[in-house]
Amino acid sequence: MVATLLVAAVVGLALGAFLQKGRFCFVNAFRDFFAYKDSRVTKGVLAATFLTMIFWGIAYQLGYYQGFWTPDWGLTGLVGGFIFGVGMTYAGGCASGTLYRAGEGYLQFWLTLLFMGVGYAGFTVAFPTLERTYFEPLTVGEGASLFTVTSVPAGLVGLAVALAGLLVYATLTGRASTAADFGERADVAQLTPAAFLAPVVGLRGFARGTETYFRGLVRAWRHPIAASKQPWDPRTAALGITAAAVLWFTQVSIVGVTGPEARWTGYLLSQVGVDAGSFEYWGSILFQGQGVGVTVDMVMIAFVIVGAFLAALWSGDFALRVPKRRRLPNAVVGGLMMGAGSRLAPGCNIGNIYSGIAELSIHSFIAAVGIVAGVYVMTHWIYREVGCAI
Amino acid sequence: MPSIDDVTNTPDELTDDEAEALLEDADLVQDMTGEVCPYPQVEAKKGLQDLEAGELLVQETDHVPCTENVPRAVGDDAEAQVWRSGDATYRIYLRKQA
Repeated sequence: MVATLLVAAVVGLALGAFLQKGRFCFVNAFRDFFAYKDSRVTKGVLAATFLTMIFWGIAYQLGYYQGFWTPDWGLTGLVGGFIFGVGMTYAGGCASGTLYRAGEGYLQFWLTLLFMGVGYAGFTVAFPTLERTYFEPLTVGEGASLFTVTSVPAGLVGLAVALAGLLVYATLTGRASTAADFGERADVAQLTPAAFLAPVVGLRGFARGTETYFRGLVRAWRHPIAASKQPWDPRTAALGITAAAVLWFTQVSIVGVTGPEARWTGYLLSQVGVDAGSFEYWGSILFQGQGVGVTVDMVMIAFVIVGAFLAALWSGDFALRVPKRRRLPNAVVGGLMMGAGSRLAPGCNIGNIYSGIAELSIHSFIAAVGIVAGVYVMTHWIYREVGCAI
Repeated sequence: MPSIDDVTNTPDELTDDEAEALLEDADLVQDMTGEVCPYPQVEAKKGLQDLEAGELLVQETDHVPCTENVPRAVGDDAEAQVWRSGDATYRIYLRKQA
């Protein structure tokens, strides 16, 4: 038990520090890509997801794992994911982004956390009704991880999917740069060789970018103290997050944020006299009949806030920040939508986009589409006066 | 030869003196303290629409990601420089380009 708590502390501190240093925010990753094609953080998110997929696949194949998180799949992922995606874009931070900014001293995001808690509690009260009217009709099939349903070794599956993802990425970026080379003269006849060349051009660009990145990383090591106070490339965060997630996977589970937060809500309410265990959702689902208490993943996400706090303090980024009054609706409404949406899906950006895709869960593929669609719609609404690139 | 900028991808940083001098030169100052993404990005784009080429927009912010998001958001419309106070406040200097 002590060893597991130590792992929770180490993983939580590492995740918090890497999230803060890399400003690793899933809203940023998708919103800024849609708004002005900034793919800096998007690359970090993709790198973290695919690297984690490879290493989790290997760990699973070798038997170093505790379990997957595979809820039943169906339309709930789209509906809940969409609500969550709209909510996190309005709030200005995803589930993990809210945690690391709480650690940086934003009162705004403590308020967001509070209203996410209200969302969890509201969902819990409505759960018996929702189970009949929402989950049962919208659920299609039993949840599964693709690692477990094939006879192909999981390590190979992870590697193959990651390579396929890389090829798609290379084709897209390669096509964008070859199209730019051809300029407006590109017509149908010229597009055929370009389509062939795109993956090659893209892969070369990827290799160059990766090489440049690692050279820069080596240079940064020469002045470790100064470099540690600078903002880090999201890809550096991706490497650190992957290492922490692999450790967590071999010792506890996949990485989740809103599940443990919903448990915190039940636990904190039980401390002020609410019989949280008597609610079906808390009692038998979240705490699985073990009684309402502090679980190891709750300890882990608490340490994410501590890790982000320490990293921010070290970098000169910590301050108690008082929100502008006109931003309060973002925390209240955004928080509520994130809390409720993450339960309706179920899962947040970490559970479904990062961990869920990395563990190849069918449910998470659907929920990820819902979340990204929510970000897309909300980004267009927020940018309605100045316009979006995509 | 790749530099540290390739790793962090941040705009040029200003010294304290440069930052003070430039602030007096500003044509438009936006107070974005207490704001969160993406409102500073949107406001920067709107602010630049009202400026002439060569004029300077300064945003005061306490939101860490803005130091990178805002310069990215305005893209080629403005040349960006950043000042970090070291005390969790930042200024983003955007000089509108022709």
